[in-house]
Amino acid sequence: MTTYLGRRLLQMIVVLFGVSLIIFTVIAMAPGDYVTSKANPNMTEEKKQELRESMGLDKPIVQRYFTWMKNSLKGNFGDSLKFKQPVISVINTYVWNSFLLAVTSFIASLIIAIPIGVVSATKQYSAIDGIFTVLALIGISLPAFFLGLLVIKFFAFDLKLFPIGGMTATGSNYTGIQYWIDVLYHMFLPFLVLTVMNVGSLMRYTRTSMLEVIRQDYIRTARAKGLKEAVVIYRHAFRNALIPIVTILGLSLPGLFSGAIITETIFAWPGIGKIAFDCLSTRDFPFLMAFNMLMALLTLIGNLIADVSYALVDPRVRLK
Amino acid sequence: MKKRLISLLALTLSGMLILGGCQKAEPQPEENNQEEVSEAVEGYIPASDPSLNPVSGREDTLVIGIDAPEEVFNPLYWESAYDKYVVDTIFEGLLTVDEEGLPIEAMAEKYEISEDGLTYKFTLKDGLKFSDGSPLTTEDVAFTYTAACDPSYDGIADFVNVTKIKGSKAYKEGTADSIEGINIIDDKTIEFTLEEVNADAVYDFTTGILSKAYYGKEYSQGNLDYIKAYHKTPLGSGQYKLIETKAGQEVVLEANENYHNGKPNIPNLIYKVTSTETRMQLLQTGEIDMDMVTVNKDNVDALKEAGFLDLHIFPTNGYGYIGMNLENPKFQDIKVRQALAYGLNRQEIVNAVYAGGFADVINVPQSKESWAYYAGDNKYEFNKEKAIELLEEAGWKVGDDGIREKDGVKLEIKFTATSPNVVNDALIPVAKANFEELGIKFEAEQMDFNAVIEKVNNMDFEMFFMAWGLTPSPDASNVFASNGSQNNTGYANPELDALFNEGLKETDVEKRKEIYKEIYQILNEELPYIYLYQRRDMWVVNSRVKGFENQITPYKDYPASLYKLTLE
Repeated sequence: MTTYLGRRLLQMIVVLFGVSLIIFTVIAMAPGDYVTSKANPNMTEEKKQELRESMGLDKPIVQRYFTWMKNSLKGNFGDSLKFKQPVISVINTYVWNSFLLAVTSFIASLIIAIPIGVVSATKQYSAIDGIFTVLALIGISLPAFFLGLLVIKFFAFDLKLFPIGGMTATGSNYTGIQYWIDVLYHMFLPFLVLTVMNVGSLMRYTRTSMLEVIRQDYIRTARAKGLKEAVVIYRHAFRNALIPIVTILGLSLPGLFSGAIITETIFAWPGIGKIAFDCLSTRDFPFLMAFNMLMALLTLIGNLIADVSYALVDPRVRLK
Repeated sequence: MKKRLISLLALTLSGMLILGGCQKAEPQPEENNQEEVSEAVEGYIPASDPSLNPVSGREDTLVIGIDAPEEVFNPLYWESAYDKYVVDTIFEGLLTVDEEGLPIEAMAEKYEISEDGLTYKFTLKDGLKFSDGSPLTTEDVAFTYTAACDPSYDGIADFVNVTKIKGSKAYKEGTADSIEGINIIDDKTIEFTLEEVNADAVYDFTTGILSKAYYGKEYSQGNLDYIKAYHKTPLGSGQYKLIETKAGQEVVLEANENYHNGKPNIPNLIYKVTSTETRMQLLQTGEIDMDMVTVNKDNVDALKEAGFLDLHIFPTNGYGYIGMNLENPKFQDIKVRQALAYGLNRQEIVNAVYAGGFADVINVPQSKESWAYYAGDNKYEFNKEKAIELLEEAGWKVGDDGIREKDGVKLEIKFTATSPNVVNDALIPVAKANFEELGIKFEAEQMDFNAVIEKVNNMDFEMFFMAWGLTPSPDASNVFASNGSQNNTGYANPELDALFNEGLKETDVEKRKEIYKEIYQILNEELPYIYLYQRRDMWVVNSRVKGFENQITPYKDYPASLYKLTLE
């Protein structure tokens, strides 16, 4: 196992280098840069040139890449052109808010989707299966902004049960438990939206996986050997059906940090999604590089976790 | 049975298709040349029933909704409009701007401009202090403007190339170690000398003043990077002082007891981050006291219905326009450009996007509210026949395929559209249909904003739609002068260049008006742009907030009035 991990880590480093080169080139090739995004009618040519120089945008691409690489290896990812603060600190300010929202809705989706998926599979084609499938498809098909606005209108505006947006109460200064209660209270609606959207697909995965396992010969053997149906389903079939789900968990890692831009925007939730999008429109180079490298790193780690857990969970698989 | 049913269904469907196709296209009756112009709704609309106000228990706090600021709270470095609101609340300048866009004294008690127009002398009021109690003197003023000309200054303000403070260029290039044109006479008096006369330079003296003790203790020429660390903890002499900023959520402020006009009436101010989708609801539940809402009929009706909200609707200081590449031969003939203006139903586009009369078609590149505004002699009202007449005169004859051609070149226009954009969504189909009737082929390509800007900067386009935001200064030489830094059409007219120069040098307002009238007459006749519209902005204010009447205009943002407000 250790050799396997060692080899994978070396591979990751190589891949990260390659990814950094690709991302850098693509962003550099995109038309326009930070200065053009300002589109300020009062900016003189000299000013534009000065700004480009101070941002290092006037140097050739290859030189810029090596400067960036050299600095990043020392841990200096530069200052965001938009926020004028170190990129790491900008990301750090917002990413944990997105993470909180994403991880809670992810866990909730799992808790809801897996049992529903299992029941749906064991009672395939029944009325229960039909209802769950329809609900799952509705959840998958509803666009985020529609669901978000609907939920706000109903729960926040009409029933006044939850706040319309934001992460904390206006002008509040809570600490400790009170603070967390306030945050959770504000988080409920966006959490609801994200969960509804995720539950559908997770439920379908579980159902498909479970159905496949139930058809296997070893399940027939278990039944033939006289085991109780509940034991067959929940001890034997279920654990094997979880295998693909476990790999999905690993691959979802980057998604937990990338932010749900539409949901966060509607609920004025201070997440990284909108920040990343705005930085993309304004070609905020340092931020985009750091953020995308973070996503690349998380994707690679997620893949590694998925592969390793696959080997751990499925005795048939050997890691080479 | 099932098979029979299916074949019957198929037969019926195909029958419908055939019959449908047989219908001859009826010739449409000639449409009215004029699209309906709805009555514009503008001005201050007070709440109809303030007793419906749901707000309670917030008698000492004003909550204003804004989009998320970038937390760059420094008058020399802010770039987003939302950062500007916060900066204008925390900092104060020598001068400020009144409702009409004219400069008036703020921290300066008086100011004089020398006979030759080159020297500006400011006398500060007595007893000025920053919000922490430290005194504000001309040292701080000098520091602020010097820092902005520093070699390592990388913000947007440009006192070197635009205001042209004498000696600032040498300071910026490092060949001088102080700025010749900034002269401290004593604690309360300071003089600025410019390289050339500039009637609008006075607006550059509205910049917020930084505390030298706070922002300048580590300063030396060429070494300004450290100042970033202070962006989130600003110190100013403005109406409110910053208590806390929560990224992406809110900015919390408290009244500054040392404010030169007296401590603001409302003790606490919170800027709350709101989203476009929810600001209407937040206003209706009273969770925020004011915000800027998109002006359209639905929103205005809903807000009026709430009963306790005041509406301030006024023309935006800016305009939308269609730009053409004048280096492209087909756009070089004035007749062609005028034909396009006559042949495009601009009113229809405006009605589609800003229904309810919330935008006006314009014919000059200036806001109707500007003192320099002149409406332009030619209204270019939608007239297909006139457009065709002009195209024929210009030598573009209709070819066999219905498209006009001249010297073997077809009259085709490729339109570069930013996406997403509501105006382009309305403009493209209207233009396509209108121009087709003139014998012009019109096609659109869509890409993101930055990509369009890049194409335009490289003159790699034919036609595009964009909008400009304006300042109180009517000078548009950046955009329309022969080598203007923002000239995105390639337009060059020496007569106009001379007039722009004159306009900046002339200090008498009446004479300036005459000069700008001539400028607009030329721009109206020659159409380097096809001017499209000037739309409205709307600020919605809870009726419990008193003191905003007539204080929010295209030239005076609301932050200037915060200290005067009271809560009922």
